[in-house]
Amino acid sequence: MKNTLTGRVASTAIVLIAMTTGMAMAEGAMCKDTVKVLAQPRDGLTLLETYNDEFKELSGAGFQIDYLNEGDRRSKSQADASTTGNYNVYYVDEANIALFASSGWIAPLMDHYPAEYDYADFDAGRQATATYDGKIWFAPVLGGGDIMVYRKDLLEAAGIAPPTTLDELKAAVAKLHNPDAGIYGIALRGKRGSGDNVWRWMPYFKGMGGEWFVDGKPAFNSQAAVDATNTYLELFKFSPPGTQTGSWDEDTGAFLSGQVAIIIESAPLAGITLDPKASQVVDKVGFLPPPSPLTGGGFAHGFAIGTKANPDKAALDCAGLWAAWATSKEQEMRRLAAGQSGELNRNSVIGSPEFSATFGTALPEALAATASHTAVNFWQDARWPELGNQWGIILEELISGQRTDVQAGLDELNVFAEKLVAN
Amino acid sequence: MQRRQSLPFVFLLPTMAILLVLALVPTFYAINISLQGRTLSNPDAGYIGFQNYIEMFGDRRFLNALWVSAKWEVITVSATMIMAIGLGVLMFEVAATRLRNALCLIFLIPVLLPRVCAAFVWKFAFHPLYGVITYPYRALTGHPLDMLSSPNAALFAVAFVDLWQWGFFFAVIVLKLLEALPPQPIEAARLDYARPWQIHAYITLPMLRAPLISLMFVKMIESLRSFDLIYVMTRGGPGTSTETLDMYAFSQGFIEAGKISYASSMAVVMMLATIIIFTVLWKRLKA
Repeated sequence: MKNTLTGRVASTAIVLIAMTTGMAMAEGAMCKDTVKVLAQPRDGLTLLETYNDEFKELSGAGFQIDYLNEGDRRSKSQADASTTGNYNVYYVDEANIALFASSGWIAPLMDHYPAEYDYADFDAGRQATATYDGKIWFAPVLGGGDIMVYRKDLLEAAGIAPPTTLDELKAAVAKLHNPDAGIYGIALRGKRGSGDNVWRWMPYFKGMGGEWFVDGKPAFNSQAAVDATNTYLELFKFSPPGTQTGSWDEDTGAFLSGQVAIIIESAPLAGITLDPKASQVVDKVGFLPPPSPLTGGGFAHGFAIGTKANPDKAALDCAGLWAAWATSKEQEMRRLAAGQSGELNRNSVIGSPEFSATFGTALPEALAATASHTAVNFWQDARWPELGNQWGIILEELISGQRTDVQAGLDELNVFAEKLVAN
Repeated sequence: MQRRQSLPFVFLLPTMAILLVLALVPTFYAINISLQGRTLSNPDAGYIGFQNYIEMFGDRRFLNALWVSAKWEVITVSATMIMAIGLGVLMFEVAATRLRNALCLIFLIPVLLPRVCAAFVWKFAFHPLYGVITYPYRALTGHPLDMLSSPNAALFAVAFVDLWQWGFFFAVIVLKLLEALPPQPIEAARLDYARPWQIHAYITLPMLRAPLISLMFVKMIESLRSFDLIYVMTRGGPGTSTETLDMYAFSQGFIEAGKISYASSMAVVMMLATIIIFTVLWKRLKA
C-alpha cells in the first residue's frame, strides 16, 4: 500500500515536473528576437535592465530599452508606430492611449498577457486609465493623481497652516515667496504640451467648473477657462526662473533642491521627496491632497504591445510577456526594496508590510487621501493630443508674455477645436 | 578625340545620377504628399489639391514662423560675417605666426563640437539660477536672468550659440584668405602710410569679395538648418518666439498633430522660397 502511494506520488511528481518543464521550455522559446522597447527614463527601468538575463532565461531572448524624455518619447513613438514600427513595446500614457488604440498602432493587451501575472492586482485607477473602448491597452508602470507637497519648516516659520482651499493656497504662496532668500512660493510647468503646462492647468479648469464640451459644442473659451487661466498666470508670478518654459524636471527639480515652498504635482513626486539620493528636503516635507476645488489629474503610464513590429501571434505574445514581466509583482517588490515608491502600482505591493516599513504611514495615507480628489481632466479622445498641444502653445505664449489677452487666446483655441471636431 | 570628349561624361554620369536620385526623389515625394491630406493616424487619405497651401497662409503660426526664420537668417548670417571679418583682420594685424596658429586651432573647436552637445552645454550655461553666462547679472543685480524664457531675448540667446560655433571657424577662414593674398598691394599701401583699417577696407576686403560672398552663402544655407540647435535649446519657445519654419513643420508633422501632408507643404514652400531668394541674391551680389 505504502509502495503504491509512494509510486503514485512519484509518478504524479514526475508528470508535474514534466509539465512544468514543458511549460518553461514553451515559455523559454516564446521570443525569437530581442524585444525592443521605446520608453522614457525611469529608475525602475534602469533597475529592470540589470535583470536582462532573467528575462532571457524566461523567454529565450533579451530586451533593449531606448530612452527619450517625455516629449520626445511621445513624438518618436507616434512617428515610429505609424510608419516603420521598429519597437515591439511602446511606453504609452493616458494622453495618447486613445490615439494609439484607435489607429491600430497597439494591440489589446489582455490577448497576449499571461494570466499568471495577475493584471487584476493593479490599482483600479491605473486599470481604468489603461482602458479605452472597453479594452485594456497597457500594463501600468506608474500612475496616480496629484498631491500637494509642502515645506513644513517654511510654513511653520511663517505661521501658515497647510492650504486646503485655492484661496488659502494663493495667500500662502504670496506670503512664502521670497526670492531674495532663494525661496519661491510655488513651482508650475510652463512648457508647451498637453502633458506639460496644459496638464497642470487642467485641475484649475475642471476645479472651477470648466467643461470641454457643452451641448456637444466646444466650450474652451468659457468663463471657467478664463478664470482658470488667470489664476494659473497669477500663480506663475511666484514660480522659479526656468519653469516658465520648464516641465516636470524643472519644477520638481526646483522643489527637490529646496527652492520652493509648495508644489502640486503628480503623486510619484511624494516618494521622490523622501529619497535622500534625489531630495534635499527629505525631513522637511508634508503631504496633502490638492486644495479644493482643484481636481487631481488622474494619469497612468505603461507598456503597450506594438502591432507593426510584431507581425504574428508569437511576436505579440512575446511582447505581452515582456510587458507582464516588466510590471510584475516581483519587479515592483524590487523597486520597493530600492526605495522607488513612485513606480509602484499593485495593490499587493502598496498594501504590503514592506511598503509601510520603507515609507512609514504618512505617505501611504496621503496617497490614499488623493484618490477622492482624482479625476480624468483631459478629453478622452484620439484628437486630444492635437487639441491639448495647441492650447499648450497658446498657454506658453501667455506665460512668457508673448501675448496677454487670455480671452482672445481661448477664443482662438475654441475656433481650432470647432474645426478639429468638424473634420 | 571623341574618346577624350566623352571621358568626362563617363565619370560625371554615375555621380550625377546618384545626385539626381538622392535630391529629386525626396523632393517629388514631398510635393506629392503635400497635395494629400495624410496624417500619421490616417496614412491612406487622398488628394486634396492645394488645400494645405491655402490653409497655410491663414495660419498665424506659419506666418510667425516665416518671420522668425527671416530674423534668424539676418541675425546669424550678419553676426557671423561681422565677427569673422573683424576677428580675422585682428589676428592678421596683431598676432604673430605662432600665436595665429594656436588661435586657429582653438577657434576650430566650437565647430567640431556636435550641434546637439553644444546646444545642451549652452542651455545649462543660460540657466537663470546656475548658469555661467547669467552669473555676472545675478551677481550684480541679485536677480536671475532667464533669457531663454523671454520672448524678446530667446532668439538672440540661441543666435549667440550659433555665432559661437560658426563665427570663430569663419574667422580662421578669413585669416587664411588674407594670408593667401599677394603681399605687394598691402606693402605698397603701408609705404603710403595707409592705416590698417584703410588697408583692409579699401584693399584686402575688396580683393576677397568673391570668397566672402561664397562664405556668406555657405552660412545662409547652414543657418537654414539650425533645427537641432533650436529644438534642444527652446523647442521654438517661449511661445512661438523662436519657432522657425523647419521647427514648426516638424511640430506639425511629428510632435503636435501628426499632419505630415501639412508639414510637407511647408517644406515645399521653404524650398521654393530658398531657391528664389538665394538665386536673386546670388545674381545681385555677383553683379
